[in-house]
Amino acid sequence: MNRSGRSAVMLLLGTILARLLFSGGYGWFVQQRMRIPLIFAAVVLIIFGIHDAVTGVRQESADPLSSKRSAGPGVGWLLILPLLVLVSIAPTGLGAAAASRVDAYTPTEETDPFDPIDTSAGVPEMRVFDFLERAIWDNQQSLEDVTVRLEGLVVNDSSVPDGFKLTRFMVSCCAADGIPLQVSVHTDGPPLEEGTWVIADVVWRPPEIPYKDVDGELIVEADAVQVTVVPDAPNDPYESPY
Amino acid sequence: MGWFTDEEVRLWATLFVSVCVQALPFLVLGVVISGLIATFVSPDLVQRIVPKRSVLAVPTAGLAGLALPGCECGSVPIAGRLVAAGTPPAAALTFLLAAPAINPVVLVSTAVAFPNDGRLVLARFLASFIAAVAVGTWWARRRGGTLLKSKQHVDTHETGRWDRFVDVASRDLVHAGGYLVVGAMAAATLQLIVPRSILDAVAENELYSILMFAGLAVLLSICSEADAFVAAGLPQFSLTSRLVFLVVGPVIDLKLIAMHTGVFGRRFAMVFVPVTLTIAVISAVVIGQILL
Repeated sequence: MNRSGRSAVMLLLGTILARLLFSGGYGWFVQQRMRIPLIFAAVVLIIFGIHDAVTGVRQESADPLSSKRSAGPGVGWLLILPLLVLVSIAPTGLGAAAASRVDAYTPTEETDPFDPIDTSAGVPEMRVFDFLERAIWDNQQSLEDVTVRLEGLVVNDSSVPDGFKLTRFMVSCCAADGIPLQVSVHTDGPPLEEGTWVIADVVWRPPEIPYKDVDGELIVEADAVQVTVVPDAPNDPYESPY
Repeated sequence: MGWFTDEEVRLWATLFVSVCVQALPFLVLGVVISGLIATFVSPDLVQRIVPKRSVLAVPTAGLAGLALPGCECGSVPIAGRLVAAGTPPAAALTFLLAAPAINPVVLVSTAVAFPNDGRLVLARFLASFIAAVAVGTWWARRRGGTLLKSKQHVDTHETGRWDRFVDVASRDLVHAGGYLVVGAMAAATLQLIVPRSILDAVAENELYSILMFAGLAVLLSICSEADAFVAAGLPQFSLTSRLVFLVVGPVIDLKLIAMHTGVFGRRFAMVFVPVTLTIAVISAVVIGQILL
C-alpha cells in the first residue's frame, strides 16, 4: 500500500466514524459510552490522514519516486471493508432475528433494597432490565399492581400465543455481545409484526410457580394495559448492564 | 444467496461492523502509543528501565499491564514496537497477554457482572496474571528470546519527530487494522453459525464444558470488557468453566490470532497460539479449583 492509499483509508475511516457520531448511528453498533473514545479515534484518524496526504504530496514534489515506496502492507486495504458493508448492506443493529440466537438474560441476585416506584407523575418508565430485576429479586414485590412503561421490540413466540415477548438487548461493549432481555406481555390487542418497536404499559403478573422453584428457563410475564406502536427505535436502542 | 436469509446477512453485517467500530478507538490508542515508543524510546532507554534478568522483567511487564485500560486490539501493535525498541521479547509478550486481561476496566466490569462472586474477580486476575507470566517465562527459557521479530517496518524515511511519529503510527494502524478486519469477519461468521444447542448439550459434563468454553472464547472473540456479561448469562455452567472463558478470551481469539500472525509472523503464531491457549486453560482450571 503506498502513501496516498494509506492517507485515503485513514481519511475515509475517520469521516465515516464522524458521520456515525453525528447521525447517532453508532448507537446501533456500540454502547453509548463509547462516544468519547470514538470521537478521539475519528479526530486522530482525520488528522493523521490529512498530515499523511500533505507530507506525501510534499515529498513527491521533491522526489517523484517517493510515491512508489511502501507505506504499509497491502492487508491495510481491508480497512475499507467495514465501510463497504455499511453502505451496501446497511445493517440496522440487533433485531428480532438476533433474539432467538442467545438465551435471554436473567439478572443476578440484587441484595440492596429496591426504592419504591414513584407513580405521582403518571405511568413511570422503566428499563426492561430493572423490571426483570424487581420482578425476580424484590422481596417487597414493589411491582405488584403497579403499571409501568416499557419500550422494546416485538418478538413473537409460541410460548405467548396471546401477545409477544417484549425484547430489548443488553449490550456492554458492542452489538456482538448483545444478550436479549425479555418480558412475556399478554394482550387483548391484535397480533403485532415481528420486530416492531412498541411502548407498552404493563402490570407484572406474579408467577404461578415461584421463580426460585423454576427449573430451566425463567420467564417473567406481564399483562398489557396499553400497547403503542412507535415508528422508530429509540436513540439508545440498547440497555447497559451498569 | 441460497444459504442465508436477508435477516442473517444484515445480522452478520451488524456483528462485523460492531466489532470493527468497537475495536477502532483501542487500535488508534494502541498505535499512538506504539508510534510514541518508536519515536521516543531508544534501545538505551529500554536497557535502563527493563530489569536485565527475565525472572524480574517478566512479572514487572505483567504488572505493567494494569496500566493500559482497554481491550486487546491495542496491545498487539504496542508489543510489536516494544520488541523493535529492544525490550526482551519475553517481557513484551507478557505485557501483551496481561494488559487486556487484568486492567482496571476489565476487573470492574467483571465485578459488575458477578456482583455476588467477588472471588471470581480475584480468580480472573490471578489466573490471567499467572498465565501471562508463565508464557513469558516459557518463552524466555525455550526460545532464548531470539525468534521473535516484529514485522512492523521501522524503515521510516521521515526526519522530523512529528513526521516520524505519524508515519510509524499510520503504518501500524493499516497493518494491525487490516488483520483486525480479517478477525472481525471470522468472529461475526462464527457467532452466526455456532448453534446454541451445543451449549445445552455439554452443560452436564465439567470437562466438556471447560473445553467448550475455551473454544467459545476463541471463536466468539468478544471484547475483554464485555465477556464477563456473556459468562454471567450462562449460569447453568460451573464457575470454573466460565473462568476458563474469561482467561482465554483476552489472550487468544480469532481476531488476535489474525493480528499475531500479521504483526509477528505465521511461524510465531503457530507456536505461540497453542502454547498460550494450553497454559491459559490450565491456569484457569487450577485457580478455579482453589478459589471457586
